[in-house]
Amino acid sequence: MTGRANSIVPNSIVIVGGGASGVVLAAHLLKSPNPDLRVTLIEKRPHFGQGIAYSTLLSAHVLNVSAAGMSAYADDHGNFWRWLLERGLATPAQAPVYAPRSVYARYLKELLDELEARETGRLRLIREESLSISPTGSGVEVALANGTSVVAHIAVLATGHDEEPGAGHGHAIRMGSDADTVLDPEARVLVLGTGLSMVDAFLSLEQRGHRGEIIAVSRRGLLPSPHRKGNPIKLDVADIPLGTQLSYFVGWFRDLIRENQKAGIDWRDIVDGLRPFNQKIWQNWPSSAKRRFVEHTKAWWDIHRHRMAPEVYGRVTEAVQSGRIRLVAGRVVGINAGDEFTVEVQSRHTQNIETFDVARIYDCTGIARDISTTSNSVVRSLVDRGLARPDPLRLGLDVSQLRGDRQRRHRLGQDPGGRAADPRHLLRDRRHTGHPHTVRAAEPAAAGLRYEVGALRRPLCPAGHLPLKGGDRQFQRPVSLQRWRLAKADVRSDLPP
Amino acid sequence: MLTKKGKYGLKALIHLARLPVGQLAFVGDIATGNNIPKKFLDAILGELRNAGFVQSRKGKEGGYRLARPADEIKIGHVVRVLDGPLAPIPCASRTRYQRCEDCNEATCQVRHLMLEVRQAIAEVLDQRSLAEMRDIAGDDDLSAALKIQA
Repeated sequence: MTGRANSIVPNSIVIVGGGASGVVLAAHLLKSPNPDLRVTLIEKRPHFGQGIAYSTLLSAHVLNVSAAGMSAYADDHGNFWRWLLERGLATPAQAPVYAPRSVYARYLKELLDELEARETGRLRLIREESLSISPTGSGVEVALANGTSVVAHIAVLATGHDEEPGAGHGHAIRMGSDADTVLDPEARVLVLGTGLSMVDAFLSLEQRGHRGEIIAVSRRGLLPSPHRKGNPIKLDVADIPLGTQLSYFVGWFRDLIRENQKAGIDWRDIVDGLRPFNQKIWQNWPSSAKRRFVEHTKAWWDIHRHRMAPEVYGRVTEAVQSGRIRLVAGRVVGINAGDEFTVEVQSRHTQNIETFDVARIYDCTGIARDISTTSNSVVRSLVDRGLARPDPLRLGLDVSQLRGDRQRRHRLGQDPGGRAADPRHLLRDRRHTGHPHTVRAAEPAAAGLRYEVGALRRPLCPAGHLPLKGGDRQFQRPVSLQRWRLAKADVRSDLPP
Repeated sequence: MLTKKGKYGLKALIHLARLPVGQLAFVGDIATGNNIPKKFLDAILGELRNAGFVQSRKGKEGGYRLARPADEIKIGHVVRVLDGPLAPIPCASRTRYQRCEDCNEATCQVRHLMLEVRQAIAEVLDQRSLAEMRDIAGDDDLSAALKIQA
């Protein structure tokens, strides 16, 4: 292919992964009036819209965000809340309501059913596992497990988070996986992580009638905070110091909280007031600030930003006080597997090593994970062939800066900073850390096609993580295909063989 | 509003952006080169250092240099550090709000419009980098205007 093929309009999009993010993205894409738009949604599970996050049937597994913040549509904040009211699943007096995740799965299912009925020509659903994505002359080809493939101009990765335990968590298993067999109710178990995933694991164990001690280990041993009814403060981007060193920003933010607290405002309202700008703040930080944030500040930010329903918090703190859950700040330094596991944990504070004999180890470390070690075959296919690579902080795939002005856009292989020089397929930013996180762009760059899926502000990350902190969805904007162009052939020298 | 502090800070950064990478500049040189009072400049550079825009080295060979490439430093980011929230008038700010003695801010249309104006200010200043500002060519219209005045 030579020259610029401006006549090709990228109007066919394949979304790999039909969990909550995939469904929500499809819904936004289909808002476009373009009759030629083709959206294909591929999901390996029997049900669309569930992913890992919403496949739980446990009624105690409630959303970590109140119903008012869980609308599937960016421009209709009350959508989910109204849906609950219409079906008599909540009354206005009950607000804020933290609905069970299975109810949210039903909401997404109805939403997709509606789309399917309406969009017969534009939407196609495929229940099949995706194996790989390959660049083609005009876009991408997604190979499926049944031997067929789907061709499109753009592929969006909405594969969610890893279903396998991370490397180095050798003997740990995921709650609810096949390896999670029947357990002696009195057995002591160890949970890696003390965040919202740990809370989910605790609730699941309770449900199963488990009574043994739960040892929860994380670097700092911090438990997330509970929600409280409030009103986020109003901020403008003009108020927020961008692009500074982390310490400066943290100082500003602490001062802001202090001043507001003097006026009787809860810290949650400041944390939530910052939320619309999280992505912008993250993107503007120098890489040193990002690294420091992940290393030092993230754990503290997470427990304030990703909170749980007050009732759930009540149950967890009661369990901690009664000794049922033991929170340990430390690091696992050794695991000996025998009949039971003997786990050595080095305390963060005393450096002493304490040993725990436990019957099972659950991996609830959350979603930050080096993408190059992923067990997801589609992502693997991209990483192994050099079509994608981890971002510098190894939190996700490296995606290029496709926003705003053209001059700053990185060309393939030409980025002086070596930062997103070779970005490909979309998406996934780090919402779990609470800061900026987005679905930014999909980019079959090897094919030379550059495009931007617009400023969809944060959606595609929630699925796959049980404690779906999906509240940011309210800041999503409709996706539009804003720009695309074909890169010149000479910057495509890195095409795979 | 851009104060003198903000203006001096930007001039000092442009001065640093013109240096070869890694080279340091003396505060005295920056001050005389840009007509900035040296004591004031010391304070300004100190704040810019705290925010992570410049680095300093002490001693005889000491001085200041940019902490990051000039195309990564955005003008709006610098102005927020030196002058606080971007705002055309003091009441048009959410975190550093200053009440006007002579009006009721709830109904003040001027304030409402100025809240919009500050978004536009942020839009412009956050898009332009120090490198772009440094490379802006001289203003021909201005020299013409000066001639007319003379």
